[in-house]
Amino acid sequence: MNIYINGTGCISPQETAQGGPLLATLREYDQVRLTNVDPDYKQWVDVKQIRRMSRVVKMGVGAANLSLEEAGITQPDAIITGTAYGCLDDTGVFLSKMVNQQEEMLTPTAFIQSTHNTVAGQIALLLGCNGYNNTFVHRGFSFENSLLDAIMILKEGSAKHILAGGLDEITNHSHQLLTRFGIYKKTPVKTMELLNSPTRGTIAGEGASFFLLSPEISPGTVATLTGLSTLYKPLWEGEVIGHIMKFLEDNNCTPADIDLIVTGRNGDIDQDEIYEEVAAALFPDHAEACFKHLCGEYPTAAAFGMWMANAVIAEQQVPEAAVFYGKAPEKIKKVLLYNHHQGTHHSLILLSAC
Amino acid sequence: MADLKAQIIEQLNLQEVAPESIGNDQSLFSKEGLGLDSIDALELIVLLQQHYNLRIANPEQGPQIFQSVRTMATYITANQTVQA
Repeated sequence: MNIYINGTGCISPQETAQGGPLLATLREYDQVRLTNVDPDYKQWVDVKQIRRMSRVVKMGVGAANLSLEEAGITQPDAIITGTAYGCLDDTGVFLSKMVNQQEEMLTPTAFIQSTHNTVAGQIALLLGCNGYNNTFVHRGFSFENSLLDAIMILKEGSAKHILAGGLDEITNHSHQLLTRFGIYKKTPVKTMELLNSPTRGTIAGEGASFFLLSPEISPGTVATLTGLSTLYKPLWEGEVIGHIMKFLEDNNCTPADIDLIVTGRNGDIDQDEIYEEVAAALFPDHAEACFKHLCGEYPTAAAFGMWMANAVIAEQQVPEAAVFYGKAPEKIKKVLLYNHHQGTHHSLILLSAC
Repeated sequence: MADLKAQIIEQLNLQEVAPESIGNDQSLFSKEGLGLDSIDALELIVLLQQHYNLRIANPEQGPQIFQSVRTMATYITANQTVQA
């Protein structure tokens, strides 16, 4: 069974919500924390409802609507989201009030909106969708597991149109905490220089990317979600290489069949080493594109990578800003997305042109 | 009442609503009025506690107290006087 990507929507630190050619207007940054370029959310949500929504809820609802609009679907059969951090801002608000007000006089809104499944729930409420609704909170596999759930449901035949997506936000509080762990660079880095940065650490990012998946092709569809696999805490690079070989074999292809690899390089010299190893072992002559210098690092950043891979197939070219190495062939039929988060959560997503 | 309107706007995050656009007798919960809902009602109860140290002892009084800004102000004035 083919699983078609009938619609996509993305809200990110790039101008991805506006439509038009991929990265036509590149947003270049010189900082260690990227924040979303917000569209006008009032086009999807009533002002009275927006007032209760935090940024992550708005970006999720916005990206979900973009993907539904592109697919021409008003009512999906299921809504599945993946998020590692959830509604972090409202969680912070609620916990801060709990401390500051000695657990007295707590307001309901922040509490209600602070759960991880708020976004999927909010999308369902706005659409009036009573179907399957689930949220995966699995750190660096949150998005991948939401896709896996969607794939299994579609293969079971219990749904025809599934809205699946990954989203995470960065807040002042979380950025401060994660900075203490040494995840981010100590000094600002320019967007287009990040991937060749010789230092440790990366840049923080955020975003929401949604996909309308279906076994039925729609007129504007360009790609199928051909394969998905995850690998947790590989012991060494050979295990990753072996896993990729097996993954390609399971999907009836070899490295030679891949036209473009999209990797999750994030500019951290330690974390990018594995991409070098994989490229050298399996894809030495392949063109490679990257995305985390555009959207920043976050646990569900692979969703942005998949959105970009789908757009590359649609346009049959890789925007200069996304090219890391080489030149993609004229016809881009198969794109392999290889991403890892924090060196522990490795994932593979294979997209094929229709 | 102007202060109370500002507090309501802040507590409920009523974007694009100016204090002067809320009528003193305008209904808070009807569709023709501000169109508030049950979550807003909880927020207004918290507002009374936070700003005026008032707890609504009898929940059945709620609809009457939160009918409009004027009824809220009347309740606040009456009960603060009682406390004083």
